[in-house]
Amino acid sequence: MSFLTAIEQSGFCTWVRESGSMWAYPLILFLHTVGLGFVVGTCMVIDLRLLGYAPRIPLKPIERFFPLLWAGFWISAISGTILLAADATTKVISTIFYVKMAFITIGVSLIPRLRTSVLRDGGVPVSKGKLVAAISLACWAGAITAGRLQAYLGPVSGATGLTNHF
Amino acid sequence: MALVVAFSTWLKSTELSWAVRHFPWIWPASETLHFMGLAMLIGAVGLVDLRMLGVAKGLPFAALHKLIPWGVAGFTINLITGFLFFAGDPFQYINNIAFGLKVLFILLAGLNMIAFYATGVFRTAEALGPGDDAPVSAKLIAASSLFLWIGVMYLGRMLPFIGNAF
Repeated sequence: MSFLTAIEQSGFCTWVRESGSMWAYPLILFLHTVGLGFVVGTCMVIDLRLLGYAPRIPLKPIERFFPLLWAGFWISAISGTILLAADATTKVISTIFYVKMAFITIGVSLIPRLRTSVLRDGGVPVSKGKLVAAISLACWAGAITAGRLQAYLGPVSGATGLTNHF
Repeated sequence: MALVVAFSTWLKSTELSWAVRHFPWIWPASETLHFMGLAMLIGAVGLVDLRMLGVAKGLPFAALHKLIPWGVAGFTINLITGFLFFAGDPFQYINNIAFGLKVLFILLAGLNMIAFYATGVFRTAEALGPGDDAPVSAKLIAASSLFLWIGVMYLGRMLPFIGNAF
């Protein structure tokens, strides 16, 4: 635990958590949200298309949106790592945090499979592509739910003075 | 402003406002839906905007535009859940500069949408086949849309940090 305490009490993490600067916790939280918007938003649209929504959208050109999806993922991953480091000791004992990580791990591991379905336009058995898309959709919904519930379940963390409760 | 205060006073006296404050699950459930709506809106509107800006030009515009109802559904979810937050405690929002700017940005995004559909820009965009480049007017509208919606996300995230709303 002392290793986590050291990270949490480092100059940078203390600045993120306690400085009150708009460039610290607020900016990082915003980047985490924008990243979420692009990774989950793009993934959900691809999932929907694979499930049969808007069938006139040709699959192959969608491949060009994968770099955007990955950019969203990395923005969220990096900002998320900073948010984790800033509250390391409370996050590692929070069950809901691990639930969120589990959903994200499955969701991210399915992205290459979605890409295979998109690239092989018609070459992947439709039922298999649909199953992967449905699981992906469910994982992102689960990740968002667990992420939000972190503010309500388990130990309280986050920027000084920040509250989410009446 | 007197009208806003009068409306807020009335709204806070309604049973809806009472319910939002009384049932502790309404707030986190609405927040979760608000984030899902955000991802739906960005996933649909963002990809359509990016296509106009030249990303994934292999996609015919008219087909990709079928995603818009999904984005509208996301916006509707956020309008409803956002109204629930406002109804629960209107006074934490009406004096919050971030909230005022967020509403302004949403209205500007609405005007931008009207400019797209009501001026014939949509007609030209609709005709864009695979590989076609969008006209400058469509690119300007697409860039404004992306800027405004990302701005809405920023201002929404800043509600607790600029003026203490949540």
